[in-house]
Amino acid sequence: MWLPVAGLILGIVLGLLTDIRIPPEYADYLSIAILAALDTLFGGIRAHLQNVYDERIFISGFFFNILLAASLAFLGVHIGVDLYLAAVFAFGVRLFQNIAVIRRILLTKLSASRGKKEKS
Amino acid sequence: MGKKKVLSFTIIAFITGIMLSIQFQTVQDPVVRDTRDTKQLRAALEKEKELQAELIKELRSNEEKLSSYETEREQSKEETLRKTLEELQTEAGLTEAKGPGLKIYIDKANSLPAGEFYENYISADLLMRLLNEIKMYGAEHVSVSGHRVISTTVIREIAGATKINGYTLKNWPIEIIAITEDYKSAEKLSHRLKASPIGDDFFIDHLLLTVSDAEREVTVPAYEDKIRIKNMETAD
Repeated sequence: MWLPVAGLILGIVLGLLTDIRIPPEYADYLSIAILAALDTLFGGIRAHLQNVYDERIFISGFFFNILLAASLAFLGVHIGVDLYLAAVFAFGVRLFQNIAVIRRILLTKLSASRGKKEKS
Repeated sequence: MGKKKVLSFTIIAFITGIMLSIQFQTVQDPVVRDTRDTKQLRAALEKEKELQAELIKELRSNEEKLSSYETEREQSKEETLRKTLEELQTEAGLTEAKGPGLKIYIDKANSLPAGEFYENYISADLLMRLLNEIKMYGAEHVSVSGHRVISTTVIREIAGATKINGYTLKNWPIEIIAITEDYKSAEKLSHRLKASPIGDDFFIDHLLLTVSDAEREVTVPAYEDKIRIKNMETAD
């Protein structure tokens, strides 16, 4: 359970230590990729809590979402429309929904365990 | 939670973490504020100016060196010799020549009565006369059908075909390119050839002589063979 959190922290620390920088022109792409990754991560947690988790969907969703978002941003740059905002919007909405679902599930679990305790 | 599930979650969290920190570093470029006061700025400016003066000095000395090398090169014997050689090569026709000039075409005349047949053929004598006339009127470099005419060029008839330097003239129209000293003399040459009676001599042989107007630039190819010198010796 704590391994994914440890992985996240390890990734952040490693990234900060290696001092990698990307050209500022590509910062948009990376921000969208991060959004896609976060969306996939929270989607995975939600699916896990709802017991509908599928390994293939999780992994493919991660890479596919990143690629799609990056290509949308790329297309947007080339046709002069900030298309990456569409991806930001979609991922943002989904992120909030996922987190809301996770919160509700956790709350129900919490109250259920409390009810059990009270009963016993 | 399955082992595989934890692993994939961990990997994806790891990748996300790396991306996050990279983005963080890219966006959070620390802005260094300039907090120097006037005195410090003056000092910095002075330093830069000193550097500039030094660089200018260096530049000047390099330019001086360059120009001294140039004059040395120009005054050297080697350069003189090379120039002389180039001039001689140009004069002898060993290099391609470009300049104002004109083009002359010799073509078959279509003025024969119907049914009559005449084999078109330019005699060496006539061609030589034409070339002499062109040279006489001020042409410096001449080529016939892409073959440079130089001082040792031979024009003669061999087995019924007129040859120049050993090449048969068979591509009609025969193109003669002449280069003159300047555009004015090219115009002069054009007018003189147009007025010259040599065109009538060509017409007798059923040939049509067309002289173009003077052109700003025409190209005469270099002489393609080696010049063999038999009867000359170096002077002691």
